[in-house]
Amino acid sequence: MKLSKTLVIIPAALMAISMSAAVQADGAALYKSKTCWSCHGKDAKSPMLPVYPKLAGQNADYLFNQMKDIKSGARSNGQAAAMKGVMGMVNEAEMREIADWLATQK
Amino acid sequence: MNLKRLYQTGLLALGLITASTAFAADIVEWNKAGGEEEEALKLKPDLENGMEVFEVCSACHLTEGWGVENGTFPQIAGQHREVLIKQLADIRAGNRDNPTMYPFALPESIGDAQALSDVTAYIAKLPMNPENGKGPWEKGTPEYAKGEKLYKDNCVKCHGKHGEGNAKKFYPRLEGQHYAYMLRQFEWIRDGKRRNANPEMMKQIKSFTDEEEKMVINYVSRIPVDPKDLAPSKDWVNPDFD
Repeated sequence: MKLSKTLVIIPAALMAISMSAAVQADGAALYKSKTCWSCHGKDAKSPMLPVYPKLAGQNADYLFNQMKDIKSGARSNGQAAAMKGVMGMVNEAEMREIADWLATQK
Repeated sequence: MNLKRLYQTGLLALGLITASTAFAADIVEWNKAGGEEEEALKLKPDLENGMEVFEVCSACHLTEGWGVENGTFPQIAGQHREVLIKQLADIRAGNRDNPTMYPFALPESIGDAQALSDVTAYIAKLPMNPENGKGPWEKGTPEYAKGEKLYKDNCVKCHGKHGEGNAKKFYPRLEGQHYAYMLRQFEWIRDGKRRNANPEMMKQIKSFTDEEEKMVINYVSRIPVDPKDLAPSKDWVNPDFD
């Protein structure tokens, strides 16, 4: 009983670790390939204009919601116009991965 | 306190500048002589520096200058230097709204008129993407044929028989451009959103329906580009940035 439970838990834990590593790698790759880093900086904390936000370490849900709202047009204030132009490049799953990865950055 | 104040004022000023240049709604004169455009055109380009400046552009247009097929960023490789200079100068001067590109086009990001001269010479010489984004209708379909006719009746006079444009008149080269990018620009020109559009073109395409627009651009996206201007394959990598 004990052994079989361990046998289940270990692979599950390993899978969870490898899955989160995959999400990390994808988030980082998407952050670059979707050109986020062009404006927000390669390290996500050196934006090209001082009025653009630093994203590293920001709350994941907050990031996701801003991306979603800028894409839909629900948010159109501030610098949203600059970002709207590139939002055709990402779907919601990709936004989620980018947001999750950014939240892990320091 | 003073420093903080200064910083806030600076931010506010920057915000206002960005807002006024990014959202001003007036149609501007298509090509007023003078300014940075004329200055950059006269300067002798330094390709080596152009390559360095291009690194900024490559963050979105890619190191090959091919843009992306979904049209978010246009292909700029192989475009006439004169056209590139005019568009860059227009964006810098606030004559063309491009809030995404605006900060990258600023002198603080890429440099002065000499830099415009340099980077545009570099971009114009880049080989083009052999697999640009194309419209949905292949040669032989009625939509393709309709598009071809629309092109001949409306566009050929300025953009040329095979979409080669006219460098001296600042008419862009269209062949090889991504379908989705051309659709957006066509709509913005027709609907008055692209403020530095040529008024003759605005007049010419005013009555185009959305369907006609798609057919004519489908045709343009399928005009074959002279192989000497194309990269050897879609996997070609710009060796300058390897």
